[in-house]
Amino acid sequence: MKHLKSMNKKAQLINKAVSSEEVEDVVAMQVVVGCTATTDPGWELDPFGGLGSLCQPMESDLYGCADACWWPAQVPDTMHTYQEWGEGVAKADKDWRKLDGIFEDAE
Amino acid sequence: MALSNNNSKRATLGLGAIAVAGLVSTPLLAQDAHQLIRDNCVGCHTESGTTAAPSFSRISEQRKSPEGWLMTINRMTHLRGLELTSEDKRALVKVLADRQGLAPEETEGYRYLLEQNTNIIESGINQGLTETCGRCHSEARFALQRRSEDEWKYLVNFHMGQFPSTEFHSMSRDRPWYQIAFNETAVELGQRFPLHSKEWSNWQAAARNDLMGRWRVTGFVPGKGEFAGWMSAAKTAEGRYDVTLTGRYADGAALAGEGKATLYTGYEWRAGLTIDGVKMRQVMAANEQGTALDGRMFLAAEREIGGDMRAVRDQGKTELVAIQPAYLRAGESTELTLIGQNLAGDIDLGDGVVVEKVLSRNADRITLQARAEGAEGVRMARVGTSKQLSALTVYNTLARVEVLPTDAVTRIGGAGGNMPKVRAAYRAVGYSVGADGKPGTEDDLRLGYMPASWSIKPADEVAAHEKDDRYAGSIDASGIFTPGDAGLNPERKRSANNVGRLKVVASVADGDARVEGEGNMLVSVQDFVRRVLD
Repeated sequence: MKHLKSMNKKAQLINKAVSSEEVEDVVAMQVVVGCTATTDPGWELDPFGGLGSLCQPMESDLYGCADACWWPAQVPDTMHTYQEWGEGVAKADKDWRKLDGIFEDAE
Repeated sequence: MALSNNNSKRATLGLGAIAVAGLVSTPLLAQDAHQLIRDNCVGCHTESGTTAAPSFSRISEQRKSPEGWLMTINRMTHLRGLELTSEDKRALVKVLADRQGLAPEETEGYRYLLEQNTNIIESGINQGLTETCGRCHSEARFALQRRSEDEWKYLVNFHMGQFPSTEFHSMSRDRPWYQIAFNETAVELGQRFPLHSKEWSNWQAAARNDLMGRWRVTGFVPGKGEFAGWMSAAKTAEGRYDVTLTGRYADGAALAGEGKATLYTGYEWRAGLTIDGVKMRQVMAANEQGTALDGRMFLAAEREIGGDMRAVRDQGKTELVAIQPAYLRAGESTELTLIGQNLAGDIDLGDGVVVEKVLSRNADRITLQARAEGAEGVRMARVGTSKQLSALTVYNTLARVEVLPTDAVTRIGGAGGNMPKVRAAYRAVGYSVGADGKPGTEDDLRLGYMPASWSIKPADEVAAHEKDDRYAGSIDASGIFTPGDAGLNPERKRSANNVGRLKVVASVADGDARVEGEGNMLVSVQDFVRRVLD
């Protein structure tokens, strides 16, 4: 790795990280209630406690993660629990206004 | 922009709605409670034991908060095809929370989740539970449940089946996740949060208090300020009350509302009120004697926006409930308001604190001008024969300001989409240096909430470079932060969302000087899954 030069911000962040395990431990203890500590990729925070390594805008690859049930407490998992979530919103970057939430409180 | 119900379409009903029902006219006898479970649950769950003391598979092996049981029934409806009437749903939550709830001691340390006061970073029970469960959920979510070891194991299996990629996440794929979760984590949960406990046995045997009566209340509503008033609870059925609330805010504005309350498990007060046209919810816990309620009141449609609330029962005796503000600077004449009930007798504000002038006085409210001399410290104030003393803190110099919440998350929304913005309400707490003369140490003297002017700035160089302070939101004069609009922002690099990392700055006046404090704000993307408990 020492002969490779990091070209973008994410790569620079990775270079700064001592080890991925250490990074994960730090973030796991630092999220506010309601946020996920799954950070590979993260939803609210990246493994470094920042936003630089998140998929942004989130609409650009939303289903890549929702389909894989990656943050089921924050994004409806379309694998099992809410299979119809996102139907009719094939292009989230265009039709994000149609995305609905799961409002459990509402009877 | 103080109170708003702009997403009334999705106004969170939840337990407020359950409270509103008030349909059960008489206390459910044991056999009625059992029959209610039979009628709705034994299509899948099996019954064993005797008719008088039945056991229902899975159900009888768990205890939870009222919100926990509501979530369970919601899950049965959504995932298992349960169909039940709204009346039966409300009655089931009541029956299950009453008979298989949590003792007051079992909720200690985790009430923030019940109160929806979630802008905190949890302290962490231990690394294993944080990594296994706290990765997706708050720790309070599982710490507010009691299960047999087998039930905790079933819960692991439920997660494995329902969310199979759990094994492949970070902090899972580097270890035999399922084996650890099933053989170690579930066992530990069964020991830490067991089905049977002395606390629950004692609570079941304890006499139940009726909360009918008049209550002197104090609290805080973001955008409105501190308030004091009276709340009346009229019993309509066992554990059900009609509630009225009247009072005024610190600036003199009136406050009035009414609604319904339900008392779960003998101490868990849940109320839904409409106050000045805005739907609010109360989550409070009664003390052992049934003489005080403590908790939080928040917007029904926006649970993040709320404040502490306390109610003290009127027992016909002189009682000093609160002093607003509860601090005064030595050497300065300061206007204080004493809130209480049956306030007869002499006013004693403690050593060296002189009442210069009583500005107004009646049985439940005294406004006066006071002046303090002498050393910094906490004085105990009383009126007449009041047994309960109220703390009044005398200080010389404001040394530091703490911004609460220290860490918060808000979420972009609105802009024509279905997800409302998730805002945050801030307050500033002042401290003096304490005996050691150094700010930021354990002996700092907490003075109380102080009026502040509010601003935001980028959290660091990266946030400044991304112009997070320009795009991610703004804070108003009352300390309510509103995040930016949802959607792609073509002005930002790669059309990024209006997310950002900010510092929220409170500036508090201290004589001619100003003292600042900072809090951390993450403006994040939407939380599309809004559970009753996160």
